[in-house]
Formats: sequence, C-alpha cells, structure tokens
Amino acid sequence: MKKVLFAALAVALVLAGCGGGGDSNVIKVGWLGALTGDQAVWGENELNTVKMLFEEYNAAGGIEVGGKKYQFEVIGYDNKGDAQESVNVTKRLTGQDKVVAIIGPNASGNAIPMAPILEQAKVPDIATVATNPKVTVQDGKVKPYNFRVCFIDPYQGAVAAGFAYDKLNARTAAVLYDVSDDYSQGLREFFKINFEKKGGTIVADESFNSGDVDFRPQLSKIKAANPDVIFMPYFFKEVALSANQARDLGINATLLGGDGWPSDQLISMGGKAVEGSYFVNHLDYADPAVQDFKSRYKAKYGKETELNGFLAHDAVLVFVEGLKKAGKPNGEAIAKALEGIDVQGITGRIHISPETHNPEGKDAAILKIVNGQYIFQEKYAAQ
Amino acid sequence: MVQFLQQLINGLSIGSVYALMAVGYSLVYSIMNFSNFAHGGVIMLGAYFGFFGLTLLKLPFAVAFLLASFGTLLVAIIVERIAYKPLRERKAPFLYFIISAMGASILLENLVIATIGPTFRTYPEVFPKTPIELGPLAIGRLDLIIFVISAVSLSFLIFFIDKTKLGKAIQAASYNVKACALMGVNTDKVILTVFGLGGFLAGIAGVFFGMKYTVYPQIGNITTKSFIAAVFGGLGSLPGAVLGSVLLGIIETFVAGYLSSQFRDLIAFVILIAVLVLRPTGIMGKVTEDKA
Repeated sequence: MKKVLFAALAVALVLAGCGGGGDSNVIKVGWLGALTGDQAVWGENELNTVKMLFEEYNAAGGIEVGGKKYQFEVIGYDNKGDAQESVNVTKRLTGQDKVVAIIGPNASGNAIPMAPILEQAKVPDIATVATNPKVTVQDGKVKPYNFRVCFIDPYQGAVAAGFAYDKLNARTAAVLYDVSDDYSQGLREFFKINFEKKGGTIVADESFNSGDVDFRPQLSKIKAANPDVIFMPYFFKEVALSANQARDLGINATLLGGDGWPSDQLISMGGKAVEGSYFVNHLDYADPAVQDFKSRYKAKYGKETELNGFLAHDAVLVFVEGLKKAGKPNGEAIAKALEGIDVQGITGRIHISPETHNPEGKDAAILKIVNGQYIFQEKYAAQ
Repeated sequence: MVQFLQQLINGLSIGSVYALMAVGYSLVYSIMNFSNFAHGGVIMLGAYFGFFGLTLLKLPFAVAFLLASFGTLLVAIIVERIAYKPLRERKAPFLYFIISAMGASILLENLVIATIGPTFRTYPEVFPKTPIELGPLAIGRLDLIIFVISAVSLSFLIFFIDKTKLGKAIQAASYNVKACALMGVNTDKVILTVFGLGGFLAGIAGVFFGMKYTVYPQIGNITTKSFIAAVFGGLGSLPGAVLGSVLLGIIETFVAGYLSSQFRDLIAFVILIAVLVLRPTGIMGKVTEDKA
C-alpha cells in the first residue's frame, strides 16, 4: 500500500513539475495553415515538415539557447484556409498555448489579418509562402511581428511579366484572376504594370470568385481577344480547371503562372492542358541544396514534399537562428533578433531586411511543365 | 454573334448540371414541403462513388455510372429513414425537418473529410478532351454527353411521374398528402420513391460534376445554385426546376461573359428576389392555398 502511495506521489510531483511552465525546458512553437479545404495538401505538408524538423532537433538533444538546452513542442492548428479562422487560431496559439513564435500560414489572405493579435501578444510569425506585400508591410510601415522567407508578389509579377515579354516574346497577354484573393489580386496588378512597362498589351483582364469551378464565360472572352499568353495567378485547383476548360474551348495560348501552381495535383488534374506552361517558383526541385531534405521527408512520410515543405523548412531554420541570437525563448526578443538575420536556407540565402521583414534579393526560378515534370529553365531576377 | 453562341453553349452546359440537381430539391419539396439540404451531400457522395468505381474498382464507365446512381439512391433513402422518418412520425414542425436536413448535410460532408480526406481528386479521362469544333464554336464532348444524358433522364422522370401508377400517387401526394393517405395510398412508399428518384439523379449529377470539374467534400455547396434554380423555376414543379436551372445557367454565363464575374452572383440573387416578389411561386410553381 505504501508503495502505491509513494508511486502516486511521485507521479503527482512529476506532473506538477511539468505544469510549472516557468522553468520548463520545453519551447512551444505554433503552426497554422489549412488542414481541410482546397489547400489541405499544402498545410499537411508544412505541418509534417515543421514536426519532422523539431523532432530531429529534439532527438539530437535539443538546442542551446542562452546557455540552456531546450526541447521543442509543435502545436499545429487548422485555419481551414480562412481569414477569420486564422485570427481565431492565432488567438488560441498566443493566448492559450503561449507559443514563442508561429510558423505559417502559406496564404497571404490568411497571414494579413493575424498582425494585430501578434502585436498584442508580442509573438513573431514567420510566413512560409505568403507573398503579398501587405503580409509584412502595410501603408509603408513594417509590421513588427510579421516575417517571411519567400519573395513577394511585385517581384513575382515582375518576373512573370519580364519572362513572358523577353523570353517568350509575348506582346499580348490576358489575365484571369481570383477577385476575392489578395494573393491573386497582387500578382495580377504587378504583372499588368510590368508587362505594359515593357511595351506589351493586356488584351483581356477577367476575374472569378473563390470557389468557382466554371471559367468558360471568362475564357470565351479571352479566346476572342486572342492573346499570346494567359497569366493565371492563382492556385493549382483553379489552374487545372481553367486550363482544362481553356483547351476545351480551343484556346492554344501559352499559360503562365506563379508559385500557386506547383503541386502533384496540378499534373494529375491538368494533364495535357498544362503541358508546355511556365511558372515562377521559389526553387528548382533538382537543386542539390534541396535533395537532402527531400529524401528525409520521403523516408519519414512515404511521399514527396510539396513546394511548401521547402519554405516551411527554411522558416524553421530562420526561427531557430533567431532564437539562438535572442538568447532566450521570448517572443519579443526573437522578433528583434530576426531583423537583419542572415541564414543560408535550402531555397536560397535569406537575409531578412529590417525595413520590410522580407528576404531581400532572393532569386526566382522559372519552371516549365514538360511531360508532366517540372523542368527548371533558368534563374530569373527581375530588373 | 460567335461570342453570343459560345456563351449560350457554356450556359446550357452549366444549366443542365444544375437541372439534375434541382429536380431532387423539387421532388422532395412537392411532397414534404421542405427543402432537403442534405441533397448536396448526396450529390457529393455520388461524385465519390463514381470516382472510386472508375479508379479503385477499375469498372467500365457505364458500370461505375450506374453504381454511383444506385449508390446515392440508397444513401438518399437511408437519409430519409434516419433523419426525416422519425420526425414525420412525430408530426414535427417543418422547421425541424430543415434543421435535420442541414445536420445531415454537415454530417455527410464531414464524414467524407474524416474518412476519405479533404483533398480534391480528379476523374480519369473517360472522354477525349478535344472539343468538337463547329467553325469558330467549340463544344466539349463531355458537355454534349452531359447535356444529352441529362435531357434523357429528365424526360424519363417526367414520363414516370405522368404515366405510371406510382407517378400518379406522387402527383396526388404533392397535391395533398393527408387526403392522399385517406384515399388508401401508401404515402410512406411514395416518400421513399421520391427520395429514391432524387437520389438516383443526384448520383448522375455528382458523377457529371466530378468529371466536368473535380471531386471534393464541399461539392454540396454548389447545390445552393441549383436550389436557387429550383425556387426560381417554382419549387415543386419539375419542368419549372429544369427551366429555372437552364435559365440560371445562361444568365450566369452572360453576366460573367458580358459584364463581369463579380456581378454574377449578385445579379443571380437579385433575379431570385425579384421573381419571388413578383411571382412568389416561381415561374411554374404550383399554387398552394392555405387549406383552412
């Protein structure tokens, strides 16, 4: 009987120790992204990556911060790809779970509304593939707790426009975009500006709403305008649907897109319709720098990583560097430390500018779809 | 002119899918006077049945197609038995039916998310993607097939309702369920038939929708449109539902094609409200007077 009592007491003591929090040597890191809905493939991929990396850190004995070894706990929540839900989840991560930093989300529309909560809670967020300028800078002022590891839409739009004009010799272009999505709006705007600046003409500028599955009315109009290229700055599901429908209508123009494209699903769904299309991407999948991560991911989860995994990987790297530099697991200190940090990630060199919180001067890669494969064309930097 | 005809073709191709979905709403409404929102979930399951029939079981298209239709027929009947029959027996108010329907719809969607997964899937290519070119006009092969099969199945449905004994019973029940029961008609059987028919067409609609676009758990949301079409045409009237759907499809494509897609839903809903204000029973709706 005594023994049982003793054991119970021991368990109680251990539990009390864990609940203590203050002296805990576990650092909580939050993640949010879509685990349901259209972009669930990407969300799942990001969360898997983040979990895998922190498990690896833990297995290696943790990370030394300010002279003390810490272990990590990842808390991931589903934001359903929804802006409102992202706000709720951010509140939960900062208020209830008390994470020191958040990784994700991938969608700009979800990352933008998080800023006020992050500022209140003094917790930094490192977005993965959120490319809209407003994620880190609004009205000319940098948001103190928002960071990212990817290039931004003006850059991406400029790259797409420059490549279309200079390399594909396109003189007329049509744009189809998602009017209810910040990302799509941003890309469209900067593509238009840059394509016209180069001397090209935008012959059709058509829009649709998120959730639409039929693009034939808009595409019929585009067909009548007969453009050299069609710029499709939105996500792979709509890309595949609209590409299929464009070919159904007998449109043969070259399709052009942004980093919303790459996904296995694009190939399985778009098939022949997207053959020969080009898109701007964050990296070249055949780059030697990314091979190690690719094979580790495949070994653990039994499938290939999506684009998001690479950027989630670099977001974790940047966070860990920031944490080490800060010297203590405190959101405010980490945010300060992230400014000006310089990390060699697998997607390229990431130098977070203190003025914009963006990785300045990151190269973009142009990929072409050939026989259902993404074939690297060239590194392209817009002037 | 070319642009006009092409948009008309686009509109008909959307309208025919709406029509297959809308008749399911209309059939149930005509007998039970409530909107069966679970119908969207049944359509979504139809798309999945067809998809797995083609990919997992590697069935020929016709067999997978029938499997999906009979599968959803069964699902629709099960939904009726579990979600509505207990309410019917207790003579619950209609609001309860609608709540139960919404519950069933959310349940079906989340059941699929939990078991099959939230990602979307693509049908294998059954019909070649190259369009039939008529001069400058392009007609998708799949669109043509959808249009023909929709027209055939809707004609069969109308034939069934008009010419068979069970069809007559449905008509009688839609006029007055209680009186119909007093006349010795087995109304339970009539209700099952109605759900079965709606479910069967939901399967066809689901497979076509999946082939035309893609398969995902939220397909049911698109049925909001077909519900609008059913109200527009006159809830409870089958030809009305078909007419409403085709009109809605055409209006949508013309608004998106000639104005802007931002106005598409706006105008569709304004038309809906306008029709309901001017003609509360819809274009061809039955006139229901209060039987006081």
